[in-house]
Amino acid sequence: MKKYVCTICGYIYDEAAGSPDQGIAADTKWEDLPETWVCPICTAPKSMFNEVKEEVKEEAEEKEQKLENKLNLSSLEMSILCSNLAKGCEKQVLMDEMALFQKLADYFKAHAKKTVDPQFETLRTLVNENLSDIYPIASQTAKELNDRGSLRALVWSEKVSRIQSSLLDRLLKEGSDFIEKTNVYVCEICGYIYVGDEAPEICPVCKVPNFKLHKIERGQ
Amino acid sequence: MHAFRNLRNCTKDCLCLYVCPTGASDTENGQIDFKKCIACGLCISACPSHAISMVPDTFAPQQRKADAMKQEMMKLIQTIAEQEAAAHELAKHSDDKVFAQLAAALEKSNRIMAEDLFREAGYMLPQSKNTHDFLRSLKAVSDDRFPMEAVDQLLTLLDQND
Repeated sequence: MKKYVCTICGYIYDEAAGSPDQGIAADTKWEDLPETWVCPICTAPKSMFNEVKEEVKEEAEEKEQKLENKLNLSSLEMSILCSNLAKGCEKQVLMDEMALFQKLADYFKAHAKKTVDPQFETLRTLVNENLSDIYPIASQTAKELNDRGSLRALVWSEKVSRIQSSLLDRLLKEGSDFIEKTNVYVCEICGYIYVGDEAPEICPVCKVPNFKLHKIERGQ
Repeated sequence: MHAFRNLRNCTKDCLCLYVCPTGASDTENGQIDFKKCIACGLCISACPSHAISMVPDTFAPQQRKADAMKQEMMKLIQTIAEQEAAAHELAKHSDDKVFAQLAAALEKSNRIMAEDLFREAGYMLPQSKNTHDFLRSLKAVSDDRFPMEAVDQLLTLLDQND
């Protein structure tokens, strides 16, 4: 499956995903798109598109690398730390530094330990354990220290965890019907997940305007 | 310091082009030429759509975090990372497309939450001592495919400010 990028607006046509809004089914090859087809964003014709050459990623190792680090972080935790710092650089418009941190984040993610026998039930258990055991203590600590920055992050992520928990409950109880005919959005600021046709005007958790709520596409 | 244009807010009134004494605001990619910008601020006051702001070169040291707070944050980060890992596998391997879609949303959601908790656990600023200590600790990684040059470049490019 290939991808093609619009040289005018940057829209990417992914053969695997097709373009459902234009009535183009998933798995529709570029060659099979009608010549009258245009970019859904800027209406540029097919001739304005170039194929996206993706870098061949090396097969990640099954085993987690023994990474010496004094912080005692797992590979995935280091990936998260690096992608956080990449965002920190982006906010300061340090684009080279952002790309370097992102490179490290990608490396650590590729070498992270894989979950054995992943289940939605286990995921729900983890979320619920955090909600019942850790958030109350962490919030108490933040209040006692008058650390309002930490308290802010805890308020947001506790709310998002509650949403995660209720979505997992629903999925496990009634299956995926409640998502089937609608959309899924994630807030890029706080992680809030919204299931519905259109994203709300502002994120209900962190109040950011909805252009920062990203639609999660359904795979091929 | 230099000016930065938020392209999402820019309504192309182009007053910045008229007031800029060095031509830094007139570029083919729409962003200000940071090398030409002398941080005079004229474009910021002239812009009717408030699309330009000043980006500082130096930052105040980040807030110190109590060890007790850090510990609680790290506990949460650990579990949330496990959640991301599980959601990652579920997104990749669920046969049902909608289940996989929700798993992908959960993977992303958990990543964003844990990043934010790291920020409040002492890793807000890329210029902080904590970040530099972390980068220096990566010098011990022994894997041919590890992008060590990225670590070296970051240690050179980023000043430590605390």
